[in-house]
Amino acid sequence: MSGTFTKSMARNIFYGGTVFFFLLFLALTFDSHREFPKRDNSQNLTPEVIAGKKIWETRNCIGCHTLLGEGAYFAPELGNVYTRRGPDFIKAWIQAQPTGTHGRRQMPQFNLSEQELDQLVAFLKYASEIKTGNWPPNIEG
Amino acid sequence: MQYKSQAVAKPYFIAAIGLFVGQIVFGLIMGLQYVIGDFLFPALPFNVARMVHTNLLIVWLLFGFMGAAYYMVPEESETELFSPKLALAMFWIFLVAGALTIVGYLFVPYATLAQMTGNDILATMGREFLEQPLITKVGIVVVALAFLFNISMTMLRGRKTAISMVLLLGLWGLAIFFLFSFYNPHNLVKDKYYWWWVVHLWVEGVWELILGALLAFVLIKVTGVDREVIEKWLYVIITLTLVTGIIGTGHHYYWIGAPEYWQWWGSVFSALEPIPFFAMTVFAFNMVNRRRREHPNRAATLWALGTGVMSFLGAGVWGFLHTLAPVNYYTHGSQITAAHGHMAFYGAYVMVVLTIISYAMPILRGRAANSNKAQVLEMWSFWLMTIAMVFITLFLTAAGILQVWLQRVSTTPLGFMATQEQVSLFYWMREWAGVAFFIGLVVYIASFFVNGEGEGQAATR
Amino acid sequence: MHATTTLPQRRLAGDLAIWFFILAELLAFGVFFAAYAFARARHAAEFDVAQQALNRDAGALNTLLLLSASALVVRAVQGAQAGQAGQGRRAAPWLLGAIVCGLGFVGVKLGEYAGAFAAGVSLSSSVFHMFYLSLTFFHFMHVLLGLVILAVLWAGLLAGRYGPDNLNGLESGAAYWHMVDLVWLILFPLVYVIH
Repeated sequence: MSGTFTKSMARNIFYGGTVFFFLLFLALTFDSHREFPKRDNSQNLTPEVIAGKKIWETRNCIGCHTLLGEGAYFAPELGNVYTRRGPDFIKAWIQAQPTGTHGRRQMPQFNLSEQELDQLVAFLKYASEIKTGNWPPNIEG
Repeated sequence: MQYKSQAVAKPYFIAAIGLFVGQIVFGLIMGLQYVIGDFLFPALPFNVARMVHTNLLIVWLLFGFMGAAYYMVPEESETELFSPKLALAMFWIFLVAGALTIVGYLFVPYATLAQMTGNDILATMGREFLEQPLITKVGIVVVALAFLFNISMTMLRGRKTAISMVLLLGLWGLAIFFLFSFYNPHNLVKDKYYWWWVVHLWVEGVWELILGALLAFVLIKVTGVDREVIEKWLYVIITLTLVTGIIGTGHHYYWIGAPEYWQWWGSVFSALEPIPFFAMTVFAFNMVNRRRREHPNRAATLWALGTGVMSFLGAGVWGFLHTLAPVNYYTHGSQITAAHGHMAFYGAYVMVVLTIISYAMPILRGRAANSNKAQVLEMWSFWLMTIAMVFITLFLTAAGILQVWLQRVSTTPLGFMATQEQVSLFYWMREWAGVAFFIGLVVYIASFFVNGEGEGQAATR
Repeated sequence: MHATTTLPQRRLAGDLAIWFFILAELLAFGVFFAAYAFARARHAAEFDVAQQALNRDAGALNTLLLLSASALVVRAVQGAQAGQAGQGRRAAPWLLGAIVCGLGFVGVKLGEYAGAFAAGVSLSSSVFHMFYLSLTFFHFMHVLLGLVILAVLWAGLLAGRYGPDNLNGLESGAAYWHMVDLVWLILFPLVYVIH
């Protein structure tokens, strides 16, 4: 078997193929946007939740925890912590940090106000109600 | 060195290696915090160490890419760099901005840092890998644009080769997709959806174009195989990469609130993602076997072959291991992810940057290749770091499998922290493998300081 | 491919690069078909019911259109091969015919989609619909790309670019089109008929 193998053909296929698959990706993204409202719990995006998300971000929680499985793997998953622990436990836990137990992983004290704690909890509640395809497999995250 | 403006690559390479050392030091600290939880607390909480570890990785790889571009593009375009002065100025701006950012991470509480740097104007911080303050992000864009301007102008003036076109496309893509880091909607699902447009479309998209271009460049130089042959294979490989990788983004959309069909689309396309990596390995070995010259720099050849093998193992095999939705359901966000991340980044990006440094640095220092002694030392560091990384990956994989079993599969699941204690033996072993990696890194750096001139250097190029 | 070659050695029609691409595409479709089979085995009853709602006549018509297009493409390549150097122009009408058939496929498919969307079919409405839309739309996009390629080749024929001395581009594009056709020949029975 002999054949031709030219650089110009390989190049054209590269550009054509890339554009093709990127367009397909955009089409799927477009469809995803139409489906988001059914799954993303955006009807509960209250100002309190939005404030909570900012607290979540500015304390770099993702640097230790995961949220819907994404983040660092040093500390527990928090996408479902609202269902696992409930609001009161979460607030008390954050306030009690660090535990200071020798040799145990430590979480910093962030000195959040009562209002900020409520906002953070509201954010975690919102996150726990996103339809994630039944992930995580069980309550332990 | 054919063009004297290529010399601007040197500070970039040196900075890259320096930051690499910092990255590993923080990695070792984190590894220890995994087993001695309160190590260095509260002076250095884990989240800060991790931010420094991952951000240093990204920044030093960017230094490496930029240095590589400054070295390669004049030679490919057969003309001097458009503006070496701009390149040097950007080097210092990027280095100082990067250093200031790291200092900010280390010495200012993150919330205060956010307030000081305009996060209230546009909230972009506090998302994994995109922790940089707004001003740093803007700085990255400015540096990237100045860099791209410089490189593009150089190319426009001279010869346009496939390698430099692919490199440029990758670098432009890198800058363009980084713009999504400024998009942080309140809606968590959309936030995560577009976060991946930076992270995934970087490492499994445009960065692979850069990787391919760097590898192809070095292979042409060290093997002497016809440019025409290498360039058409480069096109074939990167085509396969993007055909599978773009839709492959879907493997990140399984459990974050995106529609469920992504489980099918993501699984189908990411199941094919190992193919381009395999092709790259075959390609690298093939070209070296068909070499038409014995290049005196054997270390660079070793790095190039290593990139092929390790990127296939790390990105291809370890990626495939947990990419199918039914498997990922259990492994998502576990130590399996960490295992894959470590070997993929090392095998693909760390090694390709070390490949180009290994090839270019002796030339930048005025010789075709280092002395035999220096090369032997460098090859020792190759094996030490690579084998250490294999073990880091294996131990993290073991930890991950056990973690998934105890915490997610078991009918009486353990809690997160209880599980962590059960797997701590593997974390200890990972830490020791990390120490071995660090020793490899020290040997690597030492190889730059042994007498480099000697019998190894043939006539310049 | 057609086997009209008179060369002593077997020659691969078209560029090796396009064959790599075709192989990759076939793999992607193949894995997707396997996933379909896997899902079907688990939701057999549901798939059977949903399949009944598909328009099999439109599917059959489209099969006919694609087969005709492929045949016309073969004639176009043969024509260019047989002519004098630079006289491929005479083969152009064959390719135009293929393009018309391809456009017919697009038209029928769009009509089918309009009906499906009106009936509330979407990627998220059921597992079967997910596969039906994903597979047919993925293929539909290939038809569009194939048509773009055929149009470029047609323009090339008119400009006298192809002849016995220069067949690489034409054969490569033709090979791609046949791949698109082949995929449909598997897709149609798999999704529309077999249950």
